[in-house]
Amino acid sequence: MAKKNYNTIEDFLTDESFNNWVKSNRLTDIDFWNEWIAYNPHKIELVNEAKDIILGVKFKHIEPSKEKVNTEWTSLEYKIKANNLKKIKKKSNNYTKLVGIAASILLLFSLGVYTLTGTPVKTSYKTAYGEVLNLKLMDGSVVTLNSNSSIYFYENNLRKIWLTGEAYFEVDKKESTNAKFLVVTDDLNIEVYGTSFNVDTKHQKTSVFLEEGNVWLELKNGTTKKMIPGNFISYSSKEDLIIEQKEKVKATFKTSWKDGSIIFENLPLSEAIQKIEDTYGLTAIFKDEISKTKLITGGVPITNLNICLRAIEKSVNVKITKLKNQLIIQKK
Amino acid sequence: MKNLSDQFVWKALKEGDLKAFSILYKTYYPILYNYGLKISRKVPLTEDTLQDFFLYVYEHRENLSDLDSIAPYLFSSYRRYLIKTLKKKSKIISFDEMEMKIIDIQFTPEEIITNQESATFKNKNIATLLNKLPKRQKEAIYLKYYSGLNTNDIANIMGVNYQSAANTIHKAIKNLREEVSILQLLNS
Repeated sequence: MAKKNYNTIEDFLTDESFNNWVKSNRLTDIDFWNEWIAYNPHKIELVNEAKDIILGVKFKHIEPSKEKVNTEWTSLEYKIKANNLKKIKKKSNNYTKLVGIAASILLLFSLGVYTLTGTPVKTSYKTAYGEVLNLKLMDGSVVTLNSNSSIYFYENNLRKIWLTGEAYFEVDKKESTNAKFLVVTDDLNIEVYGTSFNVDTKHQKTSVFLEEGNVWLELKNGTTKKMIPGNFISYSSKEDLIIEQKEKVKATFKTSWKDGSIIFENLPLSEAIQKIEDTYGLTAIFKDEISKTKLITGGVPITNLNICLRAIEKSVNVKITKLKNQLIIQKK
Repeated sequence: MKNLSDQFVWKALKEGDLKAFSILYKTYYPILYNYGLKISRKVPLTEDTLQDFFLYVYEHRENLSDLDSIAPYLFSSYRRYLIKTLKKKSKIISFDEMEMKIIDIQFTPEEIITNQESATFKNKNIATLLNKLPKRQKEAIYLKYYSGLNTNDIANIMGVNYQSAANTIHKAIKNLREEVSILQLLNS
């Protein structure tokens, strides 16, 4: 039974009988403290505070499901075993598995697998307009797929990815010490050893922006190029021409889409709207020339067309009307 | 931890027992995942760092020192690991600066039980009040009442002494109580 002086919050918190009273645990303690409080009304504030510290705030536990944990464990166990048996490389049953992380917004997600005798299993992922998909490959690399884009690869080489549309790659460095990672587009091949970069194949050309690390490009005409962080290059195999090349581009302009928005900086509306067309699969029609040249600065969401259009209207003071697949743009 | 004591699991892990490691993994993955997500706010990043972290623990098991309880070790090491990764990604100069900037836990109403045991917090919009607290107080509250760690562990994880961790928790509760009484005044 407690009989000492209680002057600080710590005195209450460290007292077992006080804890028992808070949690209504032991009758003798409950009686004691009810009486103690009646005799010490000036300490009531301290008592209540100590009580709240002990009871605290009760949370619901929102955590990954058992299935999810088991899947993750299987993948880790596989890695551990693979590391243990580096010399004798065997085992491949878990290989074709790709863990798709449904990003907060889960989107159109199509997985095509064909098993024909002798043909390696092909896996593909596709997004619809206005959707972004976050994928984690078996080797630890992460691919963020922009709207209206697709990737595929074969089970026998998980580090060779074919891309149509736009994607941001974060290639795992550790895993790639001896295996290179390859991205193939209609215009060029990108060879990497662990790095982060953005690839966009829209409008009959392939644009590559390197954020981190090193990559080597092999253009379809056979020339090779090494890129360093910040570099941006845009090449068309059809015209066999480097359309644009920049030494230093700010990453946010090229990669902000993967965090959910397109960022513009002093860009004429006619150019900015092209990104909106690509993202949402729409065609823009300008009713006047003045609207085309208005400069836009700021970010718009890529998975919510309505908010996106309202944001543009507000920032450059135009009126945008959506008619089926068309955006009619006119000055206010 | 199910039927096996922490020390037993830890010892088995140090001997390379994959079964013991699987128990450890499955016990702590969910709670560390939630913590990681609270700090990084990104699902892929949380999953990746968590996998890499566990792999690191396993591969360096022989260097692990003996432990009485596993949770505080895992929390503080994973926290350090995650901050290091985030730091690399954002090019911020010092670890401390990163720590101050990065760890800003946000609470949502869905994760808080309405029918609180504490009469003060019962049926109040506690999430909003929690989010108003200074960053370190939010993290301390999270570690104590969500993760169920004791003050000593929290002090270790947050890299402060016992008294400082205790004060942070007390201040947080005191602030919450004040906010509640202000709300009540406004509503009366």
